[in-house]
Amino acid sequence: MNFLWDNFFRKDQKERTLYTILKENYLFQDLSEKDIRFVSDVIHVRNYRPGEVVFSQGEVGVGMYIIIKGSIDITMTELAESAHRAGGVYITRLSPGDFFGEIALVEENSRRSANAVAHNEVQLVGFYKSDLVEILQRNPTAGFQVVSRLAEVLGRRLRETTEKVSELRRQVMEIKGHSKLSEKK
Amino acid sequence: MGSIRRENLVKLIAFIGILSLLIVVLLRVQDMLVTQVLAFVIFYSLNPLVNRLERSGISRTWAIIIPFVVTGFCLWLVIYLISPMISSQIKTLSTEYNSYIDILSQQLSRIDDRIKDLTLGAFEMNASEKIAQYLSDGAKVFFTALPNFASSIFTITLLAPFFAFFMLKDGRNFVRKLLALVPNNIFELSLNLLHQLNTQLGDFIRARFLEALIVGAIVWAGLEIKDVKYAVILGVFAGITSLIPYIGPVIGAVPAFLVAFFTDHTNSFLFVYITVVYVFAQVVDMLFIVPLLVAKIVDLHPISVVVAIIIGSQLMGVLGMIIAIPVASALKVISQAIFTHLIEFKS
Repeated sequence: MNFLWDNFFRKDQKERTLYTILKENYLFQDLSEKDIRFVSDVIHVRNYRPGEVVFSQGEVGVGMYIIIKGSIDITMTELAESAHRAGGVYITRLSPGDFFGEIALVEENSRRSANAVAHNEVQLVGFYKSDLVEILQRNPTAGFQVVSRLAEVLGRRLRETTEKVSELRRQVMEIKGHSKLSEKK
Repeated sequence: MGSIRRENLVKLIAFIGILSLLIVVLLRVQDMLVTQVLAFVIFYSLNPLVNRLERSGISRTWAIIIPFVVTGFCLWLVIYLISPMISSQIKTLSTEYNSYIDILSQQLSRIDDRIKDLTLGAFEMNASEKIAQYLSDGAKVFFTALPNFASSIFTITLLAPFFAFFMLKDGRNFVRKLLALVPNNIFELSLNLLHQLNTQLGDFIRARFLEALIVGAIVWAGLEIKDVKYAVILGVFAGITSLIPYIGPVIGAVPAFLVAFFTDHTNSFLFVYITVVYVFAQVVDMLFIVPLLVAKIVDLHPISVVVAIIIGSQLMGVLGMIIAIPVASALKVISQAIFTHLIEFKS
């Protein structure tokens, strides 16, 4: 029955780890010690067993997760269907300090674009829309700093995606060019 | 996978068990439900102010203490200023109650005689005696129940602010600890649902509170202008009954007409004036208060209103009738939010 009481009786250890994890995380780097303590009182710590689903592709998401310990596998079902594979195509494995699902914090009725599954024993910080609203209402300065960092992360991810799409388009054009050349020959 | 399911099931059972225990305590312990309803009203009324103070850099505890002290002082001042008026009005009512019954008996005797004349003595009602007896018995029951009622009111008014204080201070932590027991597979859904409910209930309770305050103030001011007796009590009563949709305004107006009837039943202008005051309060409510807060007030079907009032009166008497509609409206908000949420979340 230990799993029932994990969140109640590991407070000191949890807070120390939580403080370090939040302080090192890109989203909360600008915050003062006091603000980090405030945020750590707002967010939720969740524990997952190996193979347990954090969220599934297509579900409505309401927040993001930061990995405290363990690792998370990101898979995609649509790719698996096109590749005739069950259980989803493996995309990447995230490790402590990484965060995922942040689009759900800003998008209304955001659908999860991939599956997130615990690879081993995982502890996550869940940071949800309601938590962000509470931070903005009670401590707007800290809220603004978090939202600015969040916007920066989303902007950077958008730029990376655009670069990848451009790269893919260039490769497609190259392949098309090659096939035209071989047809002429 | 089997062990994950088992863990989730145990967590879910523990979570539902704690929730059920809280509900049982709420329903079974005397005055606890009303105390909690009032505590929620205080909590939702003060929470925006507490957040605003906290935003200005004050610690959460002080941000709660300051509005509590200020509101407490204002209430004390209002009670200090109004209580002599209310107590004199209650004293007058208790001394003049018998004369009011006499007036009513005389009026009814006249009606009795008219009926007797018209039916040539074939039909005799004796309504005056029956009604006078009923009113006199009612007064006895009321004055017998008054000490218990006063003690309940005293307990509720002491406990509700106490609960509200800790709901403002530690409510969030309590909810987080409770949510820690929610299984991972339904955690996001539960959290989002709770957030929606919190927002909607907050808006609903603040809107209703404001509505009752404005309606009560209009009625009080209107009746005070014409020196109608018991204007304060009638204003408070109209404010409270305005919480009951459809029939609330009618119930709220009845005592004013009774007062006019007993004090000066020959003055038809007074009846017209009282009608104008109550209609004006309802017009202001419908034209200004409801449109401004329309999205925040839940309308119930007339049948639901009647059913809720019957259930409320069966469970908790007069107090149950007063809180039946706010509780029924809150349940409607909750069920609507759960339904919408379940459809949107998993579709």
